[in-house]
Amino acid sequence: MRESWVPLFGGDVYATPRRLVLLSNEAPEREPDEWVQGPPEKLRDKAAEGFARKQGVSVGELEVRDGFLGVTKAGRPLAEALPERLNELVRGLAFSKSMVWDQSGLRFARPVRWLCAKLDETTVEGFRGSTFGHRFTHGEIEIPHAREYFELLRKTDVEVDQDKRREQILGGLRELGLETPNERVLSEVVYLVESPIVQEATFDERFLQLPEQVIVTAMESHQRYFPLGGNRFAFVANGGDPKTVVAGNENVLEGRLEDASFTFERDVEHGIDELAKELKSITFVAGAGSFAQKTERLKALVHDLGGGEASQEAARLAKADQAAELVREFPDLEGHIGAEYARLAGYPEAVCAAIDEQYLPESAGGPLPETEAGRVLSAADKIDNLTVAFALGQKPTGSRDPYGLRRAAIGLCRLALESGLELDVPALVERDRVGLAEQGAEVKDDVADTADFVEERLEGLLDVPVEFVRAARAGGVSELGAVARLAETLAAAASSDEFERAYVAYDRANRLAGKADGASAALDAKLATDEAELALIQSLAGASPKIEAAIQAKDFQAALSAASELGPPVDRFFDEVLVMAEDKQVRANRLRLLLDVRDAVGALGDLSQIPR
Amino acid sequence: MSSTYQEMIARLERYWADYGCVIMQPYHTELGAGTFNPATFLRCLGPRPWKTAYVEPCIRPTDGRYGENPFRFQHYFQYQVVLKPAPEDVLDLYFGSLEALGIDLQKHDVRLVEDDWEGPTLGAWGLGWEVWCDGMEVTQFTYFQQLGGLELDLIPAEMTYGLERLAMFLQGKKSAFDLEWAPGVTWGEVYKENEREWSTYNFEVAPIDILTKRFEEHETECRDLLARDLPLPAYDQVLKCSHTFNLLDARGAISVTERAAYIARVRNLARKVAEQYVEKLADAPV
Repeated sequence: MRESWVPLFGGDVYATPRRLVLLSNEAPEREPDEWVQGPPEKLRDKAAEGFARKQGVSVGELEVRDGFLGVTKAGRPLAEALPERLNELVRGLAFSKSMVWDQSGLRFARPVRWLCAKLDETTVEGFRGSTFGHRFTHGEIEIPHAREYFELLRKTDVEVDQDKRREQILGGLRELGLETPNERVLSEVVYLVESPIVQEATFDERFLQLPEQVIVTAMESHQRYFPLGGNRFAFVANGGDPKTVVAGNENVLEGRLEDASFTFERDVEHGIDELAKELKSITFVAGAGSFAQKTERLKALVHDLGGGEASQEAARLAKADQAAELVREFPDLEGHIGAEYARLAGYPEAVCAAIDEQYLPESAGGPLPETEAGRVLSAADKIDNLTVAFALGQKPTGSRDPYGLRRAAIGLCRLALESGLELDVPALVERDRVGLAEQGAEVKDDVADTADFVEERLEGLLDVPVEFVRAARAGGVSELGAVARLAETLAAAASSDEFERAYVAYDRANRLAGKADGASAALDAKLATDEAELALIQSLAGASPKIEAAIQAKDFQAALSAASELGPPVDRFFDEVLVMAEDKQVRANRLRLLLDVRDAVGALGDLSQIPR
Repeated sequence: MSSTYQEMIARLERYWADYGCVIMQPYHTELGAGTFNPATFLRCLGPRPWKTAYVEPCIRPTDGRYGENPFRFQHYFQYQVVLKPAPEDVLDLYFGSLEALGIDLQKHDVRLVEDDWEGPTLGAWGLGWEVWCDGMEVTQFTYFQQLGGLELDLIPAEMTYGLERLAMFLQGKKSAFDLEWAPGVTWGEVYKENEREWSTYNFEVAPIDILTKRFEEHETECRDLLARDLPLPAYDQVLKCSHTFNLLDARGAISVTERAAYIARVRNLARKVAEQYVEKLADAPV
């Protein structure tokens, strides 16, 4: 509606669980004029007359636009246009899933039971001038004038404006002491009621023995309740007698908590070690084996990440709760409930906390794991999710990202940037692919794709122009944090003389030799004849190890200084030496020299990405 | 408002009989839901109108909890109503049935929560709502769109009341075992031991080898019956396949990959039965 209607006729769109509403307070008096395009202007002689006749105008009235003949059709007065326009609107709405319900063939999200349309006080032809109030408190109501619609519905217990309903719910929750309700639940509840009434209720205190996460999830995931702390909760009713409705909802929640208690106790009886043994028979992703096999890969990754004993132990138990009945019931509890079961089994807190934190950050900007073992496990889990998806050919495309891989990649970048975790993504991905292949998985795609996908996320996270990130990604470091610091170093130095000299050396060498054929395999100093050539060879011999050592030490400033030493000799070389010499050997050797210069400076990245 | 479990069922029977439904009886083989009953699945195919209502025991082996969980059972009851085609006032009719049960719609918070329904083993889907009474989901309301992979001539409305939940709401009970079935007799007294023994059977005892073979046999028999142009007996074999699969699933004998393949096999049979049933309908004199 916002796309098809509002741009032409203005207005706002409203929705309740039972109605879709469009209100235009300042609707235009006519439809917008319409351009009817005819034949190309160059066919005027042949086709103009026929087109004009069809449109009911004379040839002289035809206009030209963008090389085409055409006519501007004046829009009809609104009253005349509305029946057709509104029908098109109703029939043209697209839903992710739509249905039919009678022989009319109309498709909609749910059956359309009435269509009310008023232009001021006139009922639009083919529509009705009445609507229905709250389902159980009011019946059909006449709408004498379009502007009275909202007020009349308000009187029949329907708040049409979703923003107002949201405010009413927020206000009610605030009165109960809840300032920041769960947004996911709130945005759903707004569209579950037409007449929101916030109610306070309680449950039996004996359920407080359950882990808080379990109680909260039981309330939020199915019942859409708002926990108020302790044994209090709030819910939003759509009507009814408060006392009766509160008692009913309390009963339902206690039933669900009873259910959760039974499930919880059964899981605890099994114990986390027993649950971990069941992972053999639970598929992680079709094509990538079971959760037991995932666990093996996580252990290998944690080892490569330099994780200590706690993270090793946490990796072993990380997925155990996938076998827990509670997680099957409430998938949101994964990780949290595993940590709880590990605690009950007496594992050290560092292990339990890591299990709890493995899925962090839950949103791109959400909090990161706070413990060392949690960071390592969280990184390992994300590396494996990415590697598996790419290896199975299921990388995200456009807006399709069912496994949340963008979020995982952003999580990895943030672990490197904000937590200082060392993440050599290509090496880790390669390690994981070997693990996958050993387990018998068919591995497609290559390491570079997965690593690129992760590194690309740095572009949005770092406070430097993207060109510097792109340049740094091609440099001599692959560890994520180092790539980021290299990009920052380059960006900070971008206007310095040092940078300019390094850039010149890279750029001139690259421009000439980068695409030329025939460079020799290795530099032969004996073939050098000119003084400037010898000088460059000497400078390179001096600078190259310095650059390399500085990159190794991740002292990118020092690497830049060393690289900048090559600027003047490269300039001189180009001034005095003819690279494309007659002698093939000499030419090949000079091309090699330039490529070596480019590669030495290129440890700082692909500087050609940076616009000058 | 409080009434016994059996009184609640009697009132629903009365209400829908008065509306003109054919009151059917439960089917004679294990079903996972009232939708599987031929009175729903087959009768909703083809061009003939049909109105029915009946109690259906649901057998869901994986849902058993040895009678220890107040909310979950491997055997429970649905009240199934099908109106084909769905009349325009079908929702009002449904709400009328709640009133017939003594529910004051002004006093309670009754609402519809959108829900998409899918029955993969039957090649079926539809759109509709969950009906909530004071936070308790008591009914699944669905406008079928496809059954057995076939588009439908007339769109039926299916109303599936979860009888235990509805009774828990009506009687204000937190456990189904505490429901009053008849005056002085609880649901638990009638069915608790049943839950315990059947859970043991479903999870621990049911013979995997025999069941695996049995699935194949039912599948073969279904094909044979289709070859003899007998879709109604063939459909019983689909139901038996489905139940055998559910038992194997409860025994943990089916891996996740196999699962999809088993479901596809049942769906394939259901589709063939549906096609043959519709063909025969077209040939039969009205």
